Amino acid sequence: MPTGTISPLVALLWVLNVVLDTGGQLAFKAAAGDPAAGDGLARWLYMARRPWIWLGIASYVIEFLIWIAFLSLLPLSEAILLGSINIVAIMVAGRFLFGEKLTRMRVAGILLVTLGVAIVGVGG
Amino acid sequence: MKRGWFYLIGFLVLVLFDSVGAISFKYAGMHALPVEANTAWLLRLFGKPWIYGAVIGYIGAFFTWMTLLKHAPIGPAFAASHLEVVSVMLLSIWLFNEPLRLPHVLGAIAIVAGIVCLGLAESREHVPEEDEA
Repeated sequence: MPTGTISPLVALLWVLNVVLDTGGQLAFKAAAGDPAAGDGLARWLYMARRPWIWLGIASYVIEFLIWIAFLSLLPLSEAILLGSINIVAIMVAGRFLFGEKLTRMRVAGILLVTLGVAIVGVGG
Repeated sequence: MKRGWFYLIGFLVLVLFDSVGAISFKYAGMHALPVEANTAWLLRLFGKPWIYGAVIGYIGAFFTWMTLLKHAPIGPAFAASHLEVVSVMLLSIWLFNEPLRLPHVLGAIAIVAGIVCLGLAESREHVPEEDEA
């Protein structure tokens, strides 16, 4: 079992995981939040004809495999902590793309999670 | 008080599904080593039962989450849905004999504190729609 050294491959998988997770979430948000989509079955058909939902699904499928590769190379206890950065990435991306509010409490939360991930990444 | 029990059990089930998912992912990866970017790796991965455990964990977590969100306030729900970090850490120490080192403990404390802040932030924004029944 490798003991927590972050190799370039591990770092690459970590970055890809964050990008795909955030990209997937944003794509789902774009698909689900489209006000022109209507209701019920028509809404699903409308979403299926547009790229967003497929982009989201594709991101998640690839992320699934990337995440397994990442977990194979690190102890699980460390990997699950490093994976917490996804929470931060999604909130920051939501702020820029959908204008979601970043209140003081949210900023505090984002900074604490980032600090925690940094401690694990540097000290792990 | 019925509602309190509904939340408590719901959150425990959610953490349970998330933990089962994460641990199955780890076992799936361990049984398919070495990691390679090719079909041989995919065949090893999907030829063992673990990956299906991971899928079940995720599907279970998804439906539990959706059920909880129908009634539970979003803030505590958000926080609880990410606290599997702690359960997975404790389980990996037990199941995989991973050492509990100081940077991990400090990092976990900061992350959990951050998740609690984010949960509080969500609660504040969604106060009016809470508990109408």
